[in-house]
Amino acid sequence: MASRSAVKYILRRLIFLFITYVVATTIVFILPRAIPGNPLSQILSNLSRVAQSNPEAIRAAEKNLMEEFGLGKPWYLQYVEFIGKALKGDLGTSITYYPRKVMDLIVPVIPWTLVLILPATIVAWILGNSLGALAAYRRNTWIDKGVLTGSLVVSQIPYYWLGMIFIFFFGVKLGWLPVQGAYSQGTIPDLSWAFFMDALKHYILPFLSIVVSAMGGWAIGMRLMVIYELGSDYANFSEYIGMKDKRIFRYVFRNSLLPQVTGLALSLGSVLGGALITEIVFNYPGTGYLLFKALTTLDYPLIQGVFVILIASVYLANFIVDFVYALIDPRIRIGQEE
Amino acid sequence: MFLTMIKPLFKNKKFIIGFSIFIIFLLMGFLGPVFYRVDPTEMTWDYEQPPSPSHPLGTDTYGRDILAQLFHGIRSSLYIGFLAAIISLVIGTFIGTLSAVKRGLVDDTLMAVTNIVLTTPSILIAILIASYLKVRSIEIVALILGLFQWPWFARAIRAQLMSVMSREYVNLSIMAGYSDLRLIFEDLIPTIATYAFMSFVLFINGGIMGEAGLSLIGLGPTRGISLGIMLQWAVLMEAVRRGMWWWFVPPGLSIVAITASLLVISTAMDEVFNPRLREE
Repeated sequence: MASRSAVKYILRRLIFLFITYVVATTIVFILPRAIPGNPLSQILSNLSRVAQSNPEAIRAAEKNLMEEFGLGKPWYLQYVEFIGKALKGDLGTSITYYPRKVMDLIVPVIPWTLVLILPATIVAWILGNSLGALAAYRRNTWIDKGVLTGSLVVSQIPYYWLGMIFIFFFGVKLGWLPVQGAYSQGTIPDLSWAFFMDALKHYILPFLSIVVSAMGGWAIGMRLMVIYELGSDYANFSEYIGMKDKRIFRYVFRNSLLPQVTGLALSLGSVLGGALITEIVFNYPGTGYLLFKALTTLDYPLIQGVFVILIASVYLANFIVDFVYALIDPRIRIGQEE
Repeated sequence: MFLTMIKPLFKNKKFIIGFSIFIIFLLMGFLGPVFYRVDPTEMTWDYEQPPSPSHPLGTDTYGRDILAQLFHGIRSSLYIGFLAAIISLVIGTFIGTLSAVKRGLVDDTLMAVTNIVLTTPSILIAILIASYLKVRSIEIVALILGLFQWPWFARAIRAQLMSVMSREYVNLSIMAGYSDLRLIFEDLIPTIATYAFMSFVLFINGGIMGEAGLSLIGLGPTRGISLGIMLQWAVLMEAVRRGMWWWFVPPGLSIVAITASLLVISTAMDEVFNPRLREE
């Protein structure tokens, strides 16, 4: 099944993403050193604020920081060390939560973000594409007009603002669902049925705000794609030879879906960005919320760490989508093209 | 010529609706602060008041007038959107045309850069850069946002120009000894004008949305009021969970109305100018 062209395609993507990751970490390396006002001295002055309560910790932290940033060494050595560490997953030590490692702070919050963003994105993608295809199939009927108008508006609603509206309406006004967090305060996450139900209740609103507003964009794109495909030669030809509408539509649908898979890879970044802010609005204990806390205390190692991890996950997700694409696109799978 | 070009637009119902809504918000941003002369930063003892005749959209925790904030916010957000859009358009056009005209190594390098920026979530880079800047003017925020949202445009421009480059009249110009610059401005740029305008509109959306996101995470402009800053204040003061709808609904609604109307304008233009979408 895996033809040579598919393997080649996957390899090419893998190399590209690796280069991209190195570039992204390079940006992380350059920024604090290039921006005037020297953020490193800001970090140190931040440290001294913490120090008033704990003078012992500060000296250790300062020493640690100097070591981690490799200050005093030539820049190229600093760079090689930095990239090496970033690839190994060593992201340094947090300032606010000193002496905890950045990695140890990020790892526990990642599942919360994944649990929110993955199902929401996939559900939105499926629903949006189905709606868009339906609209194109019934072009110029009230279904089409309704779907298009609705999608145009809904696609422009930021997830987090829809989240605010949902919190206000379903949480505050109607009192149906909890208004914040991922589980009730005071409960300790475990694998019990009671905890699961509690978490599920907290999950509905953030999940829905992402699904609803992400759906619109997919519907618009898919509608356009299907309209294009319906006007193509093979669709017209199938019609002339008397093929049933349903069957033509099935072909058209499958062909239109391909670019939407690529679109999924490209949209991951903005979906993630929106989801992070949605977490803040919901006080949902994911990566976005951690990033927000790191930003309010200007905990640069933690900010950088979250950035590196998030970027790496976007690239990884990109790669998975590319992989799926290679599996479903016959041109790559069988290798007709190049 | 320009008139005959835009005339069919005003026969399209979608375009008229989108355009009207956008103009309303444009006027609110421009004329609102002129006619509604309330200082959006003035604190009063009427704090957290729901809408009333003296404060048509109520007040926030510090007794500041929400309607006045809204007018100033719309103005700043539109300004940020336009500025970011211009920056993205210039970068995108530059890279796209250069790639298409020069081909070879230049093309490969530029497209590699474009693909890297395209795969990297722009909002995350914006967050990282903004976190290092202690003072962020409205212009700086627009710059940070504009710097990273051009790749899809550059790619589209390049593809389009590649096909234009193989046309007869371009070959004639090349044979006539046109310089690259003259070729670009006389033969190439005009062919992408409509597409560029439609993309410009979407870039404005990107700028407005990006600003709101940055602000909510606490990295918006450090001075001035934008729609994002209003939302940030509302979130900080727990306006949502305390039921103060008049505080967080207007700025969000304005963002949706402005960006949706611009998207409708761009969609309608596509329908009018793109023969494959024209309704029979």
